[in-house]
Amino acid sequence: MLLSREVRDGEVSACGAHSQIPAAGLLLAQELHAPKADLIILNTAFTPFRTSKAFHFLCQRGELGLFFVSGVQIDRHGNYNLHQLGTDPDRPKVRFPGGYGGGLIYYAARRTVVFRTEHTRRSLVEKVDFISAAGSTPPDVIRLGHPTKLVTPKASFRFEKDEGVLRLDTIHSPWTLADIQENTGFDLGVSGPVPATKAPSAEELTALRGVVREKMLVASPAYAAWARSTLVEPQSA
Amino acid sequence: MGVPYVPIIGLVGTDLLKRRDDMVVAADPFGGKTLSVVAKALRPDVAVFHAQKADREGNVSCGYDIEALILSEASRHVIVSAEQIVDRLTEKEATGAFIPGIHVDAVVHARFGAHPGGCTGLYGPDKVHMARYIAAAQDDAAFDEYLKTYVRDVKDHDEYVERFVPREWREPVRAVGA
Repeated sequence: MLLSREVRDGEVSACGAHSQIPAAGLLLAQELHAPKADLIILNTAFTPFRTSKAFHFLCQRGELGLFFVSGVQIDRHGNYNLHQLGTDPDRPKVRFPGGYGGGLIYYAARRTVVFRTEHTRRSLVEKVDFISAAGSTPPDVIRLGHPTKLVTPKASFRFEKDEGVLRLDTIHSPWTLADIQENTGFDLGVSGPVPATKAPSAEELTALRGVVREKMLVASPAYAAWARSTLVEPQSA
Repeated sequence: MGVPYVPIIGLVGTDLLKRRDDMVVAADPFGGKTLSVVAKALRPDVAVFHAQKADREGNVSCGYDIEALILSEASRHVIVSAEQIVDRLTEKEATGAFIPGIHVDAVVHARFGAHPGGCTGLYGPDKVHMARYIAAAQDDAAFDEYLKTYVRDVKDHDEYVERFVPREWREPVRAVGA
């Protein structure tokens, strides 16, 4: 829902091959406020290209407006880690597949929204073990865009480009500032009260469980399985 | 592309860059005011991949995996194994990617040549075998045992298929798996 609100009409927006939540967000936006948005959901029926080369050069040309990405760890400076846990590069504790194109897209997409399905001190850290893509770069480095937000199941952060840090923006009900502080491994950058995240509207929920679900069912087998189990009415009200 | 190196937007400030000697940060040669990563071209000596169909001229039809075309263009030599060898394959008859024979040095007929991986439209990955592979990949001794069983102690591809490709995948020939 929050991811969908980031999509702008008429722009090209994309997410990766295993990104069920952003994919649903993209489709929801197209249904509600961005009917003319061009969507790219890699490796599904919603991919206009036959090659990764075509998508790569679209990004490099600066035609991608919005990208969604996740990382195992995300830090205060908007760096994310998709490679490994443990700081010794030769003896990692856990090795992940790495990011296929994220290290390029993070710099080329005009805006990137980082999402993480787990809001804990192990996922949101002061400093990532391995920088797969950097939140900021020196001013003389060619860069077409930067991260703008971080969205988790508990809160939403905005990226302050000039300072190069993430700052707590809104908190999802029913979580409190104390909950966020307890579960975040870095300074939230806030002093005063933090506003609540705008709750999903009836219209958004209906579209998500209706039209979006139908589209996810034909996107790819993996997306269909996710939509069947997730995009349903809650069992108990 | 055929160029020796190419500038790319991205990767500056990553730990990946620290570990690669084929990518460096360089100044714009026209004025020198901006910086970007410059990546050295990959030019493999040999590319080997598996496809659904090939003909005797080396024309290849390769599912949806069009990255194989990029691989074929970049590599000095290309060897393709295929589920099926046909007399003549044109771009029109190819499903998915078509790789013209001009890029291909040799084709090999190998049914289930992608096993334990999958071959789009014909069979999915062999998940049981994959789990065994992952377990074996945890340490050198286990992996050596894996290689002995599935590579060194196997006479040829026919014996491999007979012993290690699940029987129900082989008869009759039809789409199985994911």
